[in-house]
Amino acid sequence: MSALSFTAMQRREWRLLLHDPWLFSLITWIPMALGVFLWSIFAQGIARDLPIGVVDLDKSQVSRSIIRTYDASPALQVIKGFADISQGVAELRAGTIYALVLLPENLDKNTTLGSTPEVTAFVNSQFLLIGKVVNSALLQAQSTFTVKVEVKKNLFSGQSVMDAALSSSLPIGTQTTPLFNINTNYAQFLVSAILPALWQILTVALTVLSFAADKRRLGLQVWLADGPVKAVTAKCITLIVVAFCQGALFLSAMYIWLGWPMHGAWSILLSALFLTSVASVSAASLLFLATRDAARGLSLAAAYAAPGLAFMGVTFPVSDMTLPARIWRSLIPISHYIEIQLSQVNYGAPFVTTIPQFKALLYFIVPLLLSLVLAKVVASPRKVAGEVV
Amino acid sequence: MNWWDICKKELKAIFKNPAILLTVFGGVIFYSFLYPLPYSEQIPRELKVVVVNLDNSQMSRTLERMVDATPQVQLVARAHSLAEAQSDFVLKKLAGILVIPENFYLDLLQNKRPTLSFAGDASYFLVYGTVLEGMASAGQTLAAQVKVTRMVMSGQSMVLAAEQYSAIKLNIFSAFNETLGYVNYVIPAIFILILHHTLLMGAGILGGGQNEELATGTVDCYWLKAPVWKLLCVRTVIFMTIYWLLCMYYFGFVFEFYSIPHLADFHQLNLFILPFLLSTSFLGILLGLLLPRRELATLLVLLSSMPMVFASGFVWPTSAVPGGITQIIQLIPVIPAINGFLRLNQMGAAFGDILSLWNQLWLCAGLYGSLCCLLLWNKKRKFQ
Repeated sequence: MSALSFTAMQRREWRLLLHDPWLFSLITWIPMALGVFLWSIFAQGIARDLPIGVVDLDKSQVSRSIIRTYDASPALQVIKGFADISQGVAELRAGTIYALVLLPENLDKNTTLGSTPEVTAFVNSQFLLIGKVVNSALLQAQSTFTVKVEVKKNLFSGQSVMDAALSSSLPIGTQTTPLFNINTNYAQFLVSAILPALWQILTVALTVLSFAADKRRLGLQVWLADGPVKAVTAKCITLIVVAFCQGALFLSAMYIWLGWPMHGAWSILLSALFLTSVASVSAASLLFLATRDAARGLSLAAAYAAPGLAFMGVTFPVSDMTLPARIWRSLIPISHYIEIQLSQVNYGAPFVTTIPQFKALLYFIVPLLLSLVLAKVVASPRKVAGEVV
Repeated sequence: MNWWDICKKELKAIFKNPAILLTVFGGVIFYSFLYPLPYSEQIPRELKVVVVNLDNSQMSRTLERMVDATPQVQLVARAHSLAEAQSDFVLKKLAGILVIPENFYLDLLQNKRPTLSFAGDASYFLVYGTVLEGMASAGQTLAAQVKVTRMVMSGQSMVLAAEQYSAIKLNIFSAFNETLGYVNYVIPAIFILILHHTLLMGAGILGGGQNEELATGTVDCYWLKAPVWKLLCVRTVIFMTIYWLLCMYYFGFVFEFYSIPHLADFHQLNLFILPFLLSTSFLGILLGLLLPRRELATLLVLLSSMPMVFASGFVWPTSAVPGGITQIIQLIPVIPAINGFLRLNQMGAAFGDILSLWNQLWLCAGLYGSLCCLLLWNKKRKFQ
């Protein structure tokens, strides 16, 4: 039997990707469909009109005016007024409202008398992110209302200048600037991290399934017969090219097609993407060759890649992760990649600052070398003889 | 074939299959430790912030100390200009910038309302919120002190002034997850997803593997010889028993271990677990009947995990998600299950409040159960 040349092996890999219906779907419409699905969840970008409820025990002009201020907040919508607290709490527990505001009796009277009545709000923080949005919207609405009341009071009590009246009700003004994500748009914040995590899952799954397809069609022994190192390298190169192109498409969808701001150098970003493709493919090929079984390999790959997003440090900061979490995190290529992506996209950091992440990505050549060794072991006839004996 | 024969063969098919054991037991136990790992600190604390103090008065230094004293932030650097602060921010990977303007103290004395500027990296939502919370709370405390001082100077008694510095006070309490912990937020929902997904994978691997065996025709296909309803009953009961134990492990041991609050009463919890496991088992068996190979179930379920997490409504409000998406996914048991368990166990809802979700799970169970019967019956007919 004449040995297959390296180019012939690569042609074989491409044929496999194009002719196996599952692999073909995995490199064409599945990534697109998942990407569009995830993007469209967050497409609205900013949470609006989150339902809240009020218990108005005062039913005065002041209490109605406070309710209107809440309702006017773009993030909130007062959908229900309850006659007593227990009804409101039941709705809060049932999740139909995200917050319950309690306006006490004599609110109007105490405000006029100047004895600082207290309004109480219960915010559902089981849904942490939504809860925070509701919380800050309530605070903002309340301070708008309070300043309005106090300025009026100050003007009445003889401060004739509007500025001075405002200043004595609010002695220090504050201005907050969200850096790098000016609209505090969640679509950009989450989707720009979700898509890379999804891409890594796809790459890892594709790699395992591609090995599994060869095992199914030819058997590993036969497939590796023409040179295990050559065969595995040919496969990995093909998969790296596919993964890189997929990743580049995701990036261009976000930063070119959707036009999200990108301040860094594409050359650095794409190099990072390339190294991450190599790292993901090499980690996945090690997982398959260690188990040499499609189902077990894919289960391990799932355990490895699926929690990627949690460890990326985008949802929860890396600085507050414990040591074991940081160790596991450093074993996942995408967590190094995302740091490069964020620093490039957000503030175009110079290459020097991203060197540690690039170095970390280079270490992932080790699983590739290990999988070459494993491939040699699997292919060697000695092992077969050993098994027979 | 009698019940006992089917039972023995099913148990053997499940417990002698390393891929199923790895996915079901390995997956559930591994994830129960891995997933909470990054969040074990619960809330971000002492985030690093740079200050640009253009005022340098005693008042501004008091403010600096107040900011530093908040649990949320920690001042780690001092810059002389905004440009310097920005480069520090990028190079040292800081979380925020606080700018105290020139003449801050003077303006405050002259009743001119100086403006403090806070900036945070808004691409990290949690970090941004925490930094702003810390800086704003220090700013507010200082503002309140100034106001009280002014009121005292204009003749009010200290006690009254301290009470009356604001016209109406708003007290915000966190209902449920009171500590705003990240483990308490993510883990209860993710665990439902893990139970659901590993169950789908397990049942899918079993069915897909048996389809492979059928295609090669080498192994005894007991599952096509047994009566359809008996096989379905046995398989469902076995998976439900395994997963009931795993549910108890999660809701009992793991919740205790991470001190996650749990409010549901044991009977009500089980009442909700029942249709959850039933519908999920049926969907898993259905996947197994449809897919020609073992690993494809794992693939499909793996790919669906992120879309399910983000569309389920616990991260991002359902009202902000396009209607089409929220409606399609209602047929997947994990969506009503996440919403139901969160309400029942984390938020202490009455069972009546989640009755519609409970019914939805039974509906899913009915749908997938009958599809399983139909498909299995059809396969059996072809086989004979």
